[in-house]
Amino acid sequence: MYQSSRGTRLIKLAISVLSISNLFFIGSLKAEDILYIGAIPDQNPEHLNRLYGVLSSELSEQLNVQVRYKPVTNYAAAVTAFRTGDLDLVWFGALTGVQARLQTKGSKVIAQRDIDEKFHSVFIANKKSSIQKINNINDLTTLKGKRFTFGSESSTSGRLMPQYFLSNASLQLQDFKGSRPGFSGSHDATLMLVQSGSYEAGALSEKVWKRNLERGRVDPSKVFVIWKTPSYHNYHWLAQGNLDKKFKEGFTKDLTNVFLSFNEKSKKQKQILELFSAKKFIISKNENYNQIEKVGREIGKIK
Amino acid sequence: MKLIKPVSTSLTLIPSIAYIPILIEIIKGFHIGGLNIIFQFISSAIKPSFNQEVVKSAWEGLQITIATALISWVISMLIGIVLGVLSTDLFWKSIPKFSCLGKFIKYSLAIPRSIHEVVWGLLFIQISGLNVWVAIISIVIPYSALTARVISEQLDSFDIQPLIAIKQTGSNIISSFITILLPKLIPIVFTYGSYRFECAIRGVTLLGIFGLGGIGTELYLTLKSFEFNEMWTCLWMLWLVMILLEKFIRSFRSYLSENISLKNSFSISISIFTLSLSLGISWLYNLNFELFTPLSFSYLNLPSFLEIRNGFNTLPLFKLIIATILITFFASGIAIGTPPLLLVLFPGKFSLKVQNLIWIFFRLIPPPLTTILILLFTNPNISVAALSLGITHMGVMGRLLTDNILNQEKSIYRAIKSNGSSKQSATLYGILAPQSNSYLAYGAYRIDVILKETAIIGAVGGVGLGWQLQESLSSFDWAQVMIITAAFSLLTITGEFLFNTSQNYWLNNSTNNFIS
Repeated sequence: MYQSSRGTRLIKLAISVLSISNLFFIGSLKAEDILYIGAIPDQNPEHLNRLYGVLSSELSEQLNVQVRYKPVTNYAAAVTAFRTGDLDLVWFGALTGVQARLQTKGSKVIAQRDIDEKFHSVFIANKKSSIQKINNINDLTTLKGKRFTFGSESSTSGRLMPQYFLSNASLQLQDFKGSRPGFSGSHDATLMLVQSGSYEAGALSEKVWKRNLERGRVDPSKVFVIWKTPSYHNYHWLAQGNLDKKFKEGFTKDLTNVFLSFNEKSKKQKQILELFSAKKFIISKNENYNQIEKVGREIGKIK
Repeated sequence: MKLIKPVSTSLTLIPSIAYIPILIEIIKGFHIGGLNIIFQFISSAIKPSFNQEVVKSAWEGLQITIATALISWVISMLIGIVLGVLSTDLFWKSIPKFSCLGKFIKYSLAIPRSIHEVVWGLLFIQISGLNVWVAIISIVIPYSALTARVISEQLDSFDIQPLIAIKQTGSNIISSFITILLPKLIPIVFTYGSYRFECAIRGVTLLGIFGLGGIGTELYLTLKSFEFNEMWTCLWMLWLVMILLEKFIRSFRSYLSENISLKNSFSISISIFTLSLSLGISWLYNLNFELFTPLSFSYLNLPSFLEIRNGFNTLPLFKLIIATILITFFASGIAIGTPPLLLVLFPGKFSLKVQNLIWIFFRLIPPPLTTILILLFTNPNISVAALSLGITHMGVMGRLLTDNILNQEKSIYRAIKSNGSSKQSATLYGILAPQSNSYLAYGAYRIDVILKETAIIGAVGGVGLGWQLQESLSSFDWAQVMIITAAFSLLTITGEFLFNTSQNYWLNNSTNNFIS
């Protein structure tokens, strides 16, 4: 009897000591100004961690501030995080960038990659479907009554622009088989699901299509491109309007210049450019996305 | 004339009829175009990626998930216990003047419970942005309401005579209440609490899939880019942790029940909660989470009456609700019907052990992932959503059945078998029959959970209210978001009421007691 109660007393003592020592871990947070950067991920975590690891350290070195990368997986969450000021600088897709900018007063597009100026989507089809290559946008009507999938519902190249071109060819969403399109969730998923034949056709970013071609993940006997869309502006860096106030006068300009100065001579910068699959970053501005905003409103993704 | 009353044993098998329409649809759309990807998925299981970056980020994700689950679990248990006690009839019997307050708490708890944690998460992230507390609060709200329900139901099922007796001796209300209630409350907290912890881990993982961080986020990103080797690294690590955790909890529980007296158990449970909470908090803190930055609430433009009316007009609400109900119906059939069916088809202790391993695996794979895999070899339709949702919950139902059977008396089975019956029919009458009432009662509760979870499956399959919610959220259309959330809530509350009635029926006819 005595033994067991001593045992439990020891347990209690150990537990309370542990609890108290645990609480000591919790110190106070250093209130230092940190530049929070984020991105809407369209790649695997390994790639993202490498990419933003290098980018953070390079930005921190050049700008002399602490830089921290916050991963976000959900398009809407990234927009909100920007609106609430949890993120200072975000790598947005065109649509989400416009959504975030309209909800965040003073925010500003600062830069984009060379390839983002002339971005394309491709419509792809399964060989077993009776769909043929088309030359004219109006021939998109060939997709009527087919099983068709977009990527993620907030994606510019996987949904917004493809839907826009479809509606230009006067094809509505309920014209697809099952009277609705699918939403595969990502560009890669769209490719895999069309290649497998689950969907007869789909639309995705040309860049992702090319990347998969290079990696040998496209089976040309099963899937092919039927049409490439005209070009539009896509991804860009969107910065909060208060960065000059938060850090120092002229900070936003310095930040932009750092991006513009990235080149292949420096080993680190070369790696960043490679991971972004770009040759260089170029300057960009809010007005470049007027078309996207208009399309977004037409389709109902921007209220 | 006497109405024919179905025997509960056969009722456990009837739900599996759902397979017929589902398989017809799946087979009709079947193709082998995605075979090589399925093969890649399977073969990646034996060669997960050991890339240092991958393992590192998976491990970090896992830690975030467990720590977040720990914190949300403790908070939801504590709130749940308090609310649970407050919503018992028993409690208000001692203060009869305010008993309507108890009823009020009891019924208003149906609302937070009726909305899935992922939906709470998606809503809160809109208001508060990226903060680790968003995930915690999203778990705590529905979980504490659920815990409160279970606790109040269990407490109310006890005999209240002793309480009346003690009260009549003139002792203090609160102290007499504690004397009577505490010994009954603690065992419930022990068994139900450990079950809730597993749920919390599953919940946080799901939240991660929808962008709130942790291992779920890692899983989703690897799936999005079809990096199966990396995905399996996450899946195996999660599986391992789950098994270890289950083993640890089990042995800890049996140690406690053998060595700890009732008096100590109160302080022990308080210490467990304190320890877990501080462990979770300091863990997250060490992972560089800013736990002490206060939640920011950003201003949202609330929709006007006109916008809401517009939303009603633009949303195909009826169609969405029908799709949601259909998915629930078929998914429940699969989840409830499969485990008993497998049991009867493949009887025997060895097969039971194998089935148990399969169930663990099925519980582990989050439904959005299953959807994509199934979509690879069949054409998109509502069955895909139903099947993937059914598979996860089949894992939960299967575990319950096999666990109960492994602990059950084998005498009836032996008696029937020694009469010369086949193994199959002996299993049916000797093993399944004694379990069927409690199994069905639990099944009724599961339908409820499945209905709630259509919120997340629709998002991937492109059907039902769940998909529409994602679409409206990503268009920042608050009027539509409000309507859909309300529709979901109403649907679940109705479902809960219906299934609660049938659950009570099966429980009253049950031969063995269990805690859901």
